[in-house]
Amino acid sequence: MRLVDRRRLRLRFRDLAALAAYIPVALARAVPLWVTAVFALAFGLSMAGLRPFARGRLWSALALLAMALVFFGLAFRGLLDLVVAAVSFATLVAAHRLLSEPSEPTNQQILLAALLLTAGSAALSGEIWFALCLLAFGTFACLHLGLTVVEGPVERDEALMVGPVFKQVSVGVLLALVGGVAFFIVFPRLSWNLASRRANPSVLGSTTGMADRVRLSGGGAIKTSARVVAKARLDPDPQLDRLDRYWVGRRFDVFDGHEWRGSGIAQPASPMIQLGTASGAYVTQRVELLPAYGSTTLVGLEEPIAFANGIRVSAAGAAPLLLVNVKGEEVRAATEAVTYTYMVISADGPRGERDAERDEATRLRALVVPELDGRIPALSRQVSGGERDPAKIARRLEAYLKSSYGYTLELGDDVDDPLATFLFDRKQGHCEQFATALAIMLRTQRIPARVAAGFFGGLRLGDRYALRAGDAHAWVEAWLGDAGWVTLDATPESGRRGQPPALWAALTDAFERVEELWRQKVLDYALMDQVTFVRDLVRPPRGARGSSPDDELRRPTPFTAPRLLVVLAGVAALATLVGVLRARRRQRLHPATTFLQRLEARLARASIAQRPTEPIEELSLRLTAEHHPLAQAVARASRRYLEARFGGRELSPGDAAALLEAIPPARPGVQ
Amino acid sequence: MTLRDRLRALKRWRAPRRLKVTGMGRTFLVVTLGIGLGALNTGNNLLYLVLGFLLSVIVLSGVLSERVLRDLTVRRLLPDGAFAHEPFPLRYEVSRAKGWAFALRLSEAPGTVEGWAWVASVSAGTKEIVRADVVAPRRGPLPLTQVEVSTAFPFGLFEKSRTLPLDDLLLVWPRRGFTCEVPDSKAGVHVGDLGQSRHRDGSGDLLGLRELGPDEDARRIHWRKSAAVGQLLKVEREREDRKQYTLRVERQPKGDHLDRACEETAALGHLLLENGHEVGLEAFGRRIRPSAGHGHERRLLAALAWLGHEDEGD
Repeated sequence: MRLVDRRRLRLRFRDLAALAAYIPVALARAVPLWVTAVFALAFGLSMAGLRPFARGRLWSALALLAMALVFFGLAFRGLLDLVVAAVSFATLVAAHRLLSEPSEPTNQQILLAALLLTAGSAALSGEIWFALCLLAFGTFACLHLGLTVVEGPVERDEALMVGPVFKQVSVGVLLALVGGVAFFIVFPRLSWNLASRRANPSVLGSTTGMADRVRLSGGGAIKTSARVVAKARLDPDPQLDRLDRYWVGRRFDVFDGHEWRGSGIAQPASPMIQLGTASGAYVTQRVELLPAYGSTTLVGLEEPIAFANGIRVSAAGAAPLLLVNVKGEEVRAATEAVTYTYMVISADGPRGERDAERDEATRLRALVVPELDGRIPALSRQVSGGERDPAKIARRLEAYLKSSYGYTLELGDDVDDPLATFLFDRKQGHCEQFATALAIMLRTQRIPARVAAGFFGGLRLGDRYALRAGDAHAWVEAWLGDAGWVTLDATPESGRRGQPPALWAALTDAFERVEELWRQKVLDYALMDQVTFVRDLVRPPRGARGSSPDDELRRPTPFTAPRLLVVLAGVAALATLVGVLRARRRQRLHPATTFLQRLEARLARASIAQRPTEPIEELSLRLTAEHHPLAQAVARASRRYLEARFGGRELSPGDAAALLEAIPPARPGVQ
Repeated sequence: MTLRDRLRALKRWRAPRRLKVTGMGRTFLVVTLGIGLGALNTGNNLLYLVLGFLLSVIVLSGVLSERVLRDLTVRRLLPDGAFAHEPFPLRYEVSRAKGWAFALRLSEAPGTVEGWAWVASVSAGTKEIVRADVVAPRRGPLPLTQVEVSTAFPFGLFEKSRTLPLDDLLLVWPRRGFTCEVPDSKAGVHVGDLGQSRHRDGSGDLLGLRELGPDEDARRIHWRKSAAVGQLLKVEREREDRKQYTLRVERQPKGDHLDRACEETAALGHLLLENGHEVGLEAFGRRIRPSAGHGHERRLLAALAWLGHEDEGD
């Protein structure tokens, strides 16, 4: 490769290294958008070979200095996070240098700024993309440095093979990553992980958007989304692959014919919200609402009775979360953040007593019927069939809707009376239409009913249950006298869970599993994990042999993960040692001696018997005297050996191969 | 071996490799330290990951540069002549038994000659010949005992050096500087055709043929051409006006004065030889008979280079 091409390639690697370092920063969305725009512009111009700052160095440097003053002034006044300010400034430095005349100091400054960006993004983001970008940054930066080093102090316009350089540097980068991981595992964690931040909703934005009202004319496209919006660890763990339970977020009790609204009144914020008591068993959940969730409404397994221990994570870091109880409607976070983590306790089994549910006013609001098409009450009466028991009426209506109407996500345009259109014209719809129809039909029969919104499902990923955006669902809660508020769901079974395309769902699942691993093994890796690692390494826990069937099942295999790692490392070290020793042995032999060994082996295959103490030159003379057909070939090879061994004339691999090929192996049966 | 011998051996011992941190390497180390402190202070696992990667890069720099410096064979190809204080080419033949070597910088041990050669890459089984433009600091025999091979491969953060023992003796001729005293026209001994009265009856280059005149020397007849044309033809040759000079260098101790004398003598000898004269040398009891030509000039220069260094030739 000539000098011009090499120079261009080096600059490409440099620019790509800077880009790889900046991508996690951009994905964290912590720096101002215009900084990202400036960097993108600088990168594009640099890749196109345009360097506008090659001439106006002074004024551009002054502008950079001014930006430094602005950023750090804002940080000093507390208007901007210090890490964000530093990362923003490093971004501008990188952009400035990208647009300057390339030189060795300039290139080094860009890589240095990129390294600072990498460190900054480590502080700003916890996304798995960080690892990939770190790998890309390391590879491109090392390739750039490798090419620069091989170029030498003075650039020469001569052909240079870059392939072997790439090979060595790439292997080096991979080894560096392996070494980095080893360091990561064994270096003792002496401090708590206080500085990790959760990423913003990335480029895809948030999807769920638990809205404060439900419009019937809206579409149901969200059901096809495979994005995971929440994860929950349950205690006790039901050990199910699919949980298929209702996760309630909001309740709506006011319907105006077109949309549902809540009528709750917000209470003062507090760190813990007690909604009721559990009369029987309860289940504790540690829920994490991911950036894709995009709402402040907290969800919990039906029926949540307490929310507490909330933490909100934003670009500025983690902080305790205050909760607001909007009575009868929702529990929400008092402050907006990127992600929320909180604990929720739900009654598991018989519904617990909730203060809001004993409220007469709540039940009365759940009886209000808006101006309706006259056919709806008539249909309710017809389906009820004169039944008096509210529970039976509710079950009949639920069964009627479930069996008589179809589920679809494809809806037409807005109509004047969406409920009547659903019940009498289209006769198919999504969960919100089913829930609305059931709630209103119950109300026409003087049974208090309201619509609940949240999720239905729960797919096990690792030791947590994941909720997809597509699992968003709406159902009905009806007041059935002594039974209290009872969950009814008129939506056909097929329409309750999310319905993402299979491939997309599989990809999302795989990504979620990797991300879960990333979170467990990297982000949350702590001193206790290291202790466990070492303990498993030196003294794996031994189960009580034969004490119980469960213990038998739980007994660890001799190949725990740490042990397996050590065994693999040991095997690799042993293989390396053997390879090195063999290489040294080969190295000690003179090349000509190696050739002689190959020649003797070749002679044996050609059925030419060499006497025990007969040197090769004597063998050659003997073959010549015997007029052996291979005498000439052996003479050439032996003479060449002597020249190489004692005459200082090196034997090239090509010559050696040619000399040996001139002595073909004997055919079977031919002496 | 006594304790004293061991201590002496320890004093003579030098690390087989030397490591120097480059400017980029220093910055890299500072940033690594900063990230390490940040990781320790905050407990951020991603910072630990970055720190681990950076530390691995440092370790790997040492490993890969060691691979580059291992299995290297260097042969020095000395020039025909080298003048003190003037750049001259010193060539190296670099080869290796296996693998690749990159970004090699070859130089002589400090205190010998200044300059270096660059080898971008060497593959196994091939010989790369590279040239260094070096400058010798003084006249005389210059023992070259070792070649220093260094590389900043793979990342340019550190420069690792290895010293290969390689014995050679380079004879550095005196610099041919300005000569103070140019001999006047009366100096020197006339040799050649200067005694000939006729300008075209010399013994130099051929000028032509013409008819032999009366009373002219019959030894100048070109018999073959004369036979061809049927009349006696005489060969005319250019007259060579040459003088013989013997340059003398007075015996004096080794030092600047002697070096200066050698430089002047070398310059004067060169000037005279360029003008077609024969030049000899008398110095320190040694005599070189006057003669001409480039080969003779080299003999003179070699003799001047050895002046004062006779005891180093053993």
